[in-house]
Amino acid sequence: MTKKRLYLELENCIGCRSCLAACTQCGGHEERNRNYVYDVNPLVNRQTMPLMCLHCVNPACARSCPAQAIQIHETGAVLSALVEKCIGCQNCTIACPYGIPKFDTEQNLMYKCDLCIDRTKDGIPPMCASVCPSNTLQWLTDEEIENKKQQFNLDNGKWVTSLPYLEGETNVKVNLPGILQGVTKLF
Amino acid sequence: MQRDKFFKEIENVRHPNETLVKTHCSYCGMQCGMNLRVNTVTNKIIGVEPRYDWPVTVGKMCPKGVTAYQQTNHDDRILKPLIRDDASLKGTKEGFREASWEEAYELIAKKFTELQKQYGKDTLSVFSGVSMTNEKCYLTGKFARVALGTRYIDYNGRFCMSSAAGGFLRSFGVDRGSTLPWTDIHETDCLFIAGSNTAECHPTSMFRVWNVQERGGYIIVADPRETPIARRADVHLDLKPGTDLALANGILNLLIQNGYADEEFVNQHTNGFEETKELVKEFTPEYTSELTGVAPEKIIRAAEIYGKAPNAVVMFARGIEQQHKGVDNVSGYTNMALVTGKIGRPKSGVATFTGQGNGQGGREHGQKSDLLPGYRKITNPEHVREVCQVWGITPEEMPEPGVSAYEMFELMEEKTIRGLYLLCSNPAVSAPNLNFVRKALKGLDFMVCADFYLSESAEFADVVLPSVTWSEDEGTVTNLEGRIIKINKAQEPLGESKPDWQIQVELAERLGKGKYFSHLKTAKDVADEFRLASKGGYADYYGATWDKIDKQDGVFWPCKDENDQGTPHMFLDKKFYHPDGKAKICALPYRPPAEEPDEKYPLRLTTGRVVYHYLSGNQTRRIPFLRDMCPEPFVEVHPETAAKYKMDHEERVRLFTRRGEAIYKVKITEAIRKDTVFVPYHFGHEQSINLLTIAALDPISRMPEYKACAAQLEKVEKAEMKKVQ
Ligand code: SF4
Ligand code: SF4
Ligand code: SF4
Ligand code: SF4
Repeated sequence: MTKKRLYLELENCIGCRSCLAACTQCGGHEERNRNYVYDVNPLVNRQTMPLMCLHCVNPACARSCPAQAIQIHETGAVLSALVEKCIGCQNCTIACPYGIPKFDTEQNLMYKCDLCIDRTKDGIPPMCASVCPSNTLQWLTDEEIENKKQQFNLDNGKWVTSLPYLEGETNVKVNLPGILQGVTKLF
Repeated sequence: MQRDKFFKEIENVRHPNETLVKTHCSYCGMQCGMNLRVNTVTNKIIGVEPRYDWPVTVGKMCPKGVTAYQQTNHDDRILKPLIRDDASLKGTKEGFREASWEEAYELIAKKFTELQKQYGKDTLSVFSGVSMTNEKCYLTGKFARVALGTRYIDYNGRFCMSSAAGGFLRSFGVDRGSTLPWTDIHETDCLFIAGSNTAECHPTSMFRVWNVQERGGYIIVADPRETPIARRADVHLDLKPGTDLALANGILNLLIQNGYADEEFVNQHTNGFEETKELVKEFTPEYTSELTGVAPEKIIRAAEIYGKAPNAVVMFARGIEQQHKGVDNVSGYTNMALVTGKIGRPKSGVATFTGQGNGQGGREHGQKSDLLPGYRKITNPEHVREVCQVWGITPEEMPEPGVSAYEMFELMEEKTIRGLYLLCSNPAVSAPNLNFVRKALKGLDFMVCADFYLSESAEFADVVLPSVTWSEDEGTVTNLEGRIIKINKAQEPLGESKPDWQIQVELAERLGKGKYFSHLKTAKDVADEFRLASKGGYADYYGATWDKIDKQDGVFWPCKDENDQGTPHMFLDKKFYHPDGKAKICALPYRPPAEEPDEKYPLRLTTGRVVYHYLSGNQTRRIPFLRDMCPEPFVEVHPETAAKYKMDHEERVRLFTRRGEAIYKVKITEAIRKDTVFVPYHFGHEQSINLLTIAALDPISRMPEYKACAAQLEKVEKAEMKKVQ
C-alpha cells in the first residue's frame, strides 16, 4: 500500500462545508465533526478555507498532554484523546498552534481529528477528502504531491506551508491560495 | 463506460452487520453516486458511504448529499393517511386526523367523482414535480389523463427547466440538457457559465470546473453576484439581473465582427445566421454595457477568450432561464456555440445545469400540459395515436392540452379548477406571487397532497397521503447529462407510506379505471410500460433497460434498442433534430425585465439557492446539519447600499415589492451589485421570498421571472420589531 497523505489546496474551497457534514459520518466520530471552515473575509467576498488537524510530526498537543492521552498512530495520525486517559485539563487545546482540539465539557473529554483512522489505516481516504466537491481536500501519494509542487508555484517560490510558516513539519501538506499565479495559459 | 483521470479504484469501508446499497442522491440534477449504509439487523438506513466508482462524481457529495439519508427515518415522516374534516382550518397544520388508506381512497374517489359530475372532467387538476423517478413521472401523466380524464396537468419544471427546454427545442430541435457528458468538462479550454452559482447549486461539478483553470484554460462567469465561482473566474461579467439577452447578443456581435464565426459550419449546419448577424450589430460593447451594466472591456475580453478557445462549453442555469425571456436567453447563449461551430464534438457544446434530480427525465414523459411520453406532443394526432396504443384508450379519450403550472392557479382562482391532486412539489413556497397562489389553494373545493413530510402546501389539503422517500423505492432518473441512472431501494417503506405509483394505481382502481392500471404491480412493471411508451419518440428510452444501466454506468438517451449503447455526445454527425437537420441561430430582439426599477422600487431583487438547501426546503430544512448551517433566509446587500439605507449587518429590515413584503436579516457583502439585493428562496410561510416575486411569464416556456423584479428596503421600527419576534 503506497502511503498517502491528506493534502489541502486552499484556493479551491467553495465553502460548502461538506467536509464538516462528512466528518460526522466516520465510524467512531459519534456524529460530531472535528474540522473547521472559515469565512476569510465575509463582508467582502465569499472566500473560505478549511482547517483541520495537520498531524504534526512532533505534535504540540501530544507533548503538552500530562496524561499521554494523545497517541500517535503508526501511520503518523495524531489520534483523538483516549477516553480512559484524558483528564480534561485542556492543555492540548491551548498548545495546538491552530486551535484544533475540541472539548466536550459534558464528557470532560478532548476530541479531535483522527485522520479518520478507521479508514486511513487501510488506505481508504478520510471522509472529508472523499466528499470535498472542489478538490480542496485530497488524498494523495507523495509522488502526486511532488507533481503538484512542480505544477503550482507561488510567485515567492513557495507553496507549502511547511517551515517557516508552521510550528514544525506536518504530515498533512497545505497549498496556499494563489496556486494559479504560476499557471501558463493555454492560449 | 469511460473512466477519467479523477477515477480511482478505492474499496469501501465495510462495517459488521451492514450492507451498502448503491444509489444516487435524492436532490439535484448532479445525481451524485452514493452508497446507503443499511443495518442488516434492523433493515434500516443508518448512514452514507461515498460511491467512489460512480464515474461522474467519484465519491464526492455536497452537504445535502452527505445528510440525505437522514430523510428516511426522520421523526417528521407522515406514517398514515391524514384527513381534515374541518375545511376552515385549511392553510394551517391543524385539524388532521389519521385515517386508513381505505377511508382516504374512498373519500378522494367520492369527492373527485362528485366534482367531475357537477363541473365536468376538467375541474380536477394534477400538479406534479420532477424530484422523482421517470416511472413515477410517466405514471402521473397517465393517471391525470386516463384515471382522472382531465386536461389540467402540469408540474414544477415550469419553475425550473422549462426555459432551457424551450430554448433547446428552438435551437436544436431536441431538448437534451447537455450535448456532452460531464466527464468532458474539465478537458475543455474555456467554460462560459451564465446565471449558474455552480459552487453552491451543483457543487460536485467544481473539481472539473477548477481543473480547466489548473490546465491553463479559462472560466468566464456572468452573474450579478460574485459567487464562489465568479470570485476565481478569469472574467466576471457582473450584469444587472434580467439583462442576459443583451449580453449574449453583445458577445455574439463581437464573435462575428472579429472573425470567430465558423463559416463552413454555419453554412452547412445552421439556419438564421444572416438575420441574426444584422440584429446583433446594434449590440456594440458600449451599447451592451449600457444595457447590462458590465464594463465594455470585460465584454470584449470574454468574447475574445471564447472566440479563441479551441474547445469551449457554454453552460447556464436558472439565472438566465427564470426570466420572462428565459427561452430567448437560452437560445441567445446557444447562438455563441452555433456561430463558432463549437458544438457537435467532444469537449465542446452547450449544457444547462438541471436543477432537480430528475428535471431532465421528468419533463420528457408526459407531466407537462402539452406533452406525452417520449417527448411526444399531445397536439400531434400521430403522437396521440402511438401513446393511446400503449395506454389502451382511444384517441378521442385523450384530453386536450392544458395550461402551465402558474396558470393553473389562475384557473383555481376563477373556479374553472376546483380539485387538485398535488405530489412531489411545494408550490405554496416555490410558486411566484404567493399571496395569490396561497389564496387559490385555500379556495379549492377539495385538495389531495401526497408527500412524505407535511409541507407548507400540504397545509392546504383535505387529505394528505404518505408517500415514500427516494430510498424506499426503485426506478430510473435522468441526470443533468441526459444519462439515465438507477435509484435503488434500501429500506422498506416506513409506517404505512407507499410509493406514488402504487398510490395512483390503487386510486385509479377506486375510480373505476383499474383495467388501465391494475397490471402495474411493481416499479419494474411501470418501467417496462414506460420504456414502451417512449419508444419511437425522440426521447427514446426503449433500449435503456435496468440491466444495461447497471452494466454501463448509466445510459445516455436516445437509446432505441437492445444493441444501442446510448448517446453520450449529441450531434457528432452534425445532424440536428429539426426536419432539415440544421440547427437554428436565432435573431432575438432584446427586451428588459418585465418590471424595471423606478423611484418607488429602486432596487433589483433576485433570488436563488444556498448550498445547504434544496428547492422549497421541505426536505432540507428538517435535516439538523443543514438547518444549523442556514436556519433562515437573509437579504444580501452591498455595503454602499446598506449605508445609504443606514442598515447594519444582521439588522432585520423589511423588503417589499408591489406584490408582497417580508422581514429579513441583512447580510452585508461586497460580492453583489450595488443596485441588486438577493434572497434565497428555500423558506416557508412569512419568510418566503416568493411573496414578493413577479409572475411575469415567458411567452413560450411559461416560466415566471423569479430572477428580476423591482423592490424596496425599509428599516423596521423597534416597536414593530417586538411584534414580529
Ligand atoms: S468540503 Fe471542500 S470545498 Fe467544501 S468547505 Fe470543505 S474544504 Fe471547502
Ligand atoms: S495540528 Fe494541533 S492538534 Fe493536530 S497534531 Fe498538530 S498540534 Fe496536535
Ligand atoms: S480526516 Fe476525518 S476526522 Fe479529520 S477532519 Fe477529515 S473527516 Fe474529520
Ligand atoms: S445535492 Fe446535488 S451536488 Fe449535492 S450531493 Fe446531491 S446530487 Fe450531489
